[in-house]
Amino acid sequence: MKRRAILAYLLDHPGVLQKVSMLIRKKMYNVDTLTVCKSRKPGISRMTITLREDDEARVSQVIHQLEKFTEVISAKELDTDHSYWREAAIIKLEIDSTQLEALHSEYKFEILDHKNHDTHIIQIAGSTRKIDAFVAQLGEEHIIEISRTGVAALEK
Amino acid sequence: MTGKERLLRALEKRGVRHIFGYTGGAIMPVFDSMDKLGIFKFVMSRHEQGATFMAQGVSRASLSTDDPQIGVCMATSGPGAMNLTTGIADAHMDSVPMIAVTGQVATGVIATDAFQESDVVGVMMPICKQTYMPLEADEIEKTVHEAFYVATTGRPGPVLLDIPKDVLNQQVSKDYKFSLENLRPNLPGFFYHPTPARAPVKKAIELINRSERPVIFCGHGVIGSNAGKLLQALAEKAKIPVAFTLHGLSAMQADHPLSLGMMGMHGTVEANRAISEADLLISFGMRFDDRVTGKLNEYAQNADVIHVEIDPSEIDKNVATTVAINADVYRTLHVLVGDPMLTAKPRRRWHARIDEFRQVMADDLRKEIKGGLGDEGKLLMKTIVSQLSDMTQGQDIVVPDVGQHQMMAARFYNYQTPNSWFASGGAGTMGASLPMAIGVKLVRPDERVWSISGDGGFQMNMQELGTIMEHKIDVKIVIFNNGYLGMVRQWQTLFFDGRYAGTPMLSPDYGQIASAYGIPYRKIETLDQIAPAIQEAIDLEGAIILEFICDPSEVILPMIPAGGGFDDMIIKRPMPQKKGGKK
Ligand SMILES: Cc1ncc(C[n+]2csc(CCOP(=O)(O)OP(=O)(O)O)c2C)c(N)n1
Ligand SMILES: [Mg+2]
Repeated sequence: MKRRAILAYLLDHPGVLQKVSMLIRKKMYNVDTLTVCKSRKPGISRMTITLREDDEARVSQVIHQLEKFTEVISAKELDTDHSYWREAAIIKLEIDSTQLEALHSEYKFEILDHKNHDTHIIQIAGSTRKIDAFVAQLGEEHIIEISRTGVAALEK
Repeated sequence: MTGKERLLRALEKRGVRHIFGYTGGAIMPVFDSMDKLGIFKFVMSRHEQGATFMAQGVSRASLSTDDPQIGVCMATSGPGAMNLTTGIADAHMDSVPMIAVTGQVATGVIATDAFQESDVVGVMMPICKQTYMPLEADEIEKTVHEAFYVATTGRPGPVLLDIPKDVLNQQVSKDYKFSLENLRPNLPGFFYHPTPARAPVKKAIELINRSERPVIFCGHGVIGSNAGKLLQALAEKAKIPVAFTLHGLSAMQADHPLSLGMMGMHGTVEANRAISEADLLISFGMRFDDRVTGKLNEYAQNADVIHVEIDPSEIDKNVATTVAINADVYRTLHVLVGDPMLTAKPRRRWHARIDEFRQVMADDLRKEIKGGLGDEGKLLMKTIVSQLSDMTQGQDIVVPDVGQHQMMAARFYNYQTPNSWFASGGAGTMGASLPMAIGVKLVRPDERVWSISGDGGFQMNMQELGTIMEHKIDVKIVIFNNGYLGMVRQWQTLFFDGRYAGTPMLSPDYGQIASAYGIPYRKIETLDQIAPAIQEAIDLEGAIILEFICDPSEVILPMIPAGGGFDDMIIKRPMPQKKGGKK
């Protein structure tokens, strides 16, 4: 299914996040990530939702339904070709140093901490695909813990 | 001044005169102030659900009067608030503006599972247009005004205010100032486009002029914006037949030559066939719900669709539109009717075709209504409704409950008065009628109001007879007692091989119930008793209960089975046994 990103600006009021998540449940959207942060304007938050949906009509329904909330100032779909989608991950992994070096030259992550000779904490940022590829190459068995931020997106 | 006084003053300012509700620990300070102020008529329901439907009755019935009012209901925290949910969800489904005020436990104990604490805002959020919880007395007045604005602007809906008890009792600050004139609610995300854009209107007129087989749809938005006259003008000018949604009924006179009656699941043959064959649907203030469309991929396949609707999220939701006009129905009709580009086309072939559709069931229905008795020799609801309609010249207000009798009342009462039909539609809440009729009567005191319920629905809220008794409310209460949850029984007859699981039902002796509440009562079992009983109700000043003993075998036809298409419309008894009907 096609991945979509929806950008919304909303009032930073209690309960808004609950409304959005209830909407997602009620309408049974396949949401992958949902991130909220402060926007440039005080009192207004910026939300990015990524979901999987082939049906254009359902996507515009999400947008209409979001806009129906009095707290949502605007919502729109971000065109994949004309926007950047990025996420970051912090990963605690167990791997020997030579392997880590090899991966590092390919993925250019930042090493935050060496807990001991084979336990490290790294930080990686980039497209979702890049992080997925890194995780796949690393192998699940080397991961002790992983924290991903979800997608932040910005129009070109 | 305290928060509770600010609350009441704001309600007064908004033209509220009746408050429906039930007291309790967290809300009693408000009741106390209300008593001292003496500006509201307080009507105590016997169950909080009753209060919600009374409030709905006020909003629905008064919108077409010179004095539109918004219904207000009040309840205490916890169980009181929870008892409001059904009526609020119902108002949300039917886009009825309403204000619900609940007391909440004091801020100091919120989130400790205090006595009678429940997360009212959490529960109400998905069934309200907006919810508020003011945490300072200073916020209350401004919040009430914002609540009214949100409830009534654009597509209307219910709004809840949940106010902690200590905030109600709190004094407003010394330098507190409020001016309604200067109030600008901070709602940057609240958009509302009442004026139609020029381009789609032009396109719509082109489509209308070009069409050979158009049908106008009259939805709740026509009633809500008081646009019945304009809709009729459009229909007459362009010679276009009009089909009604359940909530569009009474926007125009039911026997107008261009009326096709109700559309959808229990709609008329002429409405549904016309829709199937139409080349253009011009829909005003409605949302193409499944009871209207049946199977979507078979719906009106050859028709272009013009959709005039105030809520943009309804456009293209169920049916793809050719021309979308996101605007107020009244304003759009005003523009359309006045546009000199709109041509009058006689469309003789189309009207001749529709006359054929009108004949499909006409004889059968005429015979049935005249015969008046069902398989078991008991009365037919359609006969009773037809007589009621004749004897009142279709002038009265009808508030049905939910079930077969509702569809009979929708189909066989000849509505003449604009905005004279108030039904629970989207939610289909049994028990709505009796309390809703109370609210209706309070704001339309000079008109006769008939509450028509089945034996099932009547028993769901018959405690409100107490309210009728106490406030001497002149509602003519009709019970169609067929001994069954008739509408479900009909589905069982048609789709469950006639197994009547969970639908037969005993009723109490309604005569004794009536006398316990001091309300006159008549039981009607034979055809010749119908007219005198109705006449007695008409002549009597005050409430009366008429119990009609109805035939359980009666069905409301035509019927499009749930999930079926218009081609599956059942028009004849005995009915084919079909499998797989699901609710
Ligand atoms: C609160 C509620 N519960 C259940 C239903 C499902 N339901 C719809 S119609 C109906 C039967 C109504 O029976 P009655 O009030 O006797 O009216 P009749 O159909 O017999 O005229 C039922 C159970 C409902 N609509 N509302
Ligand atoms: Mg019944």
